[in-house]
Amino acid sequence: MPLDHRRLHGPEDSQPPELWAARPRDAGGGEEGEESGAAPRDPCALRPLFARAGLLSQAEGSAYVELSGGTKVLCAAWGPREAAEPGGAVGAGRLLCDFRRAPFCARGARPRPGGAAEREAEREAAAALREALEPAVRLSRYPRARLVVSALLLQDGGSALAAAVSAASLALADAGVEMYDLAVGCALCRPPPGDRDASAAGPWLLQPGEAEERGSAARLTVALLPALNQVSAVLGGGRGGEPEGWAAALRLGVEGCQRLYPVLRHCLLRAARRRDGA
Amino acid sequence: MATAFKTVEPLEYYRRFLKENCRPDGRELGEFRATTVNIGSITTADGSALVKLGNTTVICGVKAELAAPAVDSANKGYIVPNVELPSLCSTRFRSGPPGEEAQAASQFIADVIENSQIIAKEDLCIADGKLAWVLYCDIICLDYDGNILDASTFALLAALKNVQLPSVTINEETGLSEVNLKQKNPLAIRKHPVATSFAIFDDTLLIVDPTAEEEDLATGTVTVVTDEDDRLCSVHKPGGSPLTGAKLQDCISRAITRHKEVKKLIDKVIKSIKPK
Repeated sequence: MPLDHRRLHGPEDSQPPELWAARPRDAGGGEEGEESGAAPRDPCALRPLFARAGLLSQAEGSAYVELSGGTKVLCAAWGPREAAEPGGAVGAGRLLCDFRRAPFCARGARPRPGGAAEREAEREAAAALREALEPAVRLSRYPRARLVVSALLLQDGGSALAAAVSAASLALADAGVEMYDLAVGCALCRPPPGDRDASAAGPWLLQPGEAEERGSAARLTVALLPALNQVSAVLGGGRGGEPEGWAAALRLGVEGCQRLYPVLRHCLLRAARRRDGA
Repeated sequence: MATAFKTVEPLEYYRRFLKENCRPDGRELGEFRATTVNIGSITTADGSALVKLGNTTVICGVKAELAAPAVDSANKGYIVPNVELPSLCSTRFRSGPPGEEAQAASQFIADVIENSQIIAKEDLCIADGKLAWVLYCDIICLDYDGNILDASTFALLAALKNVQLPSVTINEETGLSEVNLKQKNPLAIRKHPVATSFAIFDDTLLIVDPTAEEEDLATGTVTVVTDEDDRLCSVHKPGGSPLTGAKLQDCISRAITRHKEVKKLIDKVIKSIKPK
């Protein structure tokens, strides 16, 4: 692996201590038993979400979203700026998105910052974010300009991309960018088939936690524009079974987004009031 | 009218304030911004701290991993700091690999760790030549309003005090390591280095805790790091206007006073989360 001269390095290779953690074999199958035997959670239950806009001083618009599973996303937005390419084609403005994961955000091994896999994953997430936000922003009002959105994931407790979509739209709205609607994100996952019934996988769960996401057979992230009732992005994959199952999951996701919408609007109103009052 | 003058002649605007011995945000020349600390918010990291120095916000997350010690220092672990200035903290930074300022800050933090002996690397070694702890300290700036070095050092210190390492034993027969995640021990922090930054104006005036605007207008900066025995750990003066010996001595004595305040704040925060 080529040495990255811009960062300080420790040893070439290191492992997280969890690899050698002593497993309690005699405690009745310890953790696995607990997960499957635990009371199945309500698949449509939405966990509490905390959102706050207007907290960074250097960005024109900013937002922080925290889900009760521990996911913490901070997002900053700027715009409009002059487009970088001179003599670019006359047309609508461009939305540039950036998604970064903090090295300490995931439980387990620390990913090497600057590694190829990291950059690939970040690029994919940034593209997904752009796809979700573009329909919501009135880009035709900013010809030849660029709007910049930058998201940072501080802790991953499940549903990270969905939280980032919500935070990014809040940040854009806080920056005063004209939008058709807020894009609200919601994630779903489907646990793998249980040991007893090998054919049917479990039901789709809304807003999975980190453990549920890691052990899932299929995942889906839905971004919705609630007031217009239009889906702006769907990102998913895995072994989910028949198409009707995915359609049902999409409907569940859309419903989840509709339920989250009032929380985000309330947060924006409070931020606007705070700004006017100051 | 004042904002127009500020945009056209920022330095003159600033000098008017300095003549009256105060700054545009109302502080005195020797006054620090309000400092707040929040510990242990990132549960996926082994230790974390969020520090706010006025508007400047820095978060530090420490992750501990296991590795074989280096061949030439078989009884030492590793501490690897990294400062990141992502594009969201300010418009002056672009997304991508770390720029000059981030690299300089990372090197500064590494020097502080080395010079102050905040943690003895021998404490991080579990088995000579076979297994040692690696502490990856990632410091990310969330909001850049000047004085990044002070905030980063403070965040690093608070995060290290918050770190709980699982106990590791080497099984004698198999030679494999066994980690007990349930039993956690805090790190042994030997020294508490605290950094104090000053900006030099017009080769003569010294201002404490500069904001981003003040740093841009300044002709030089000095950062002094002291520990709790009132001893000097490091002085960082990257170029800029020259300083007389007397002024440097003044900086050092102010840094010593600041150290006491910061130490009190950290102790208060650590004590408040102890009963769990």
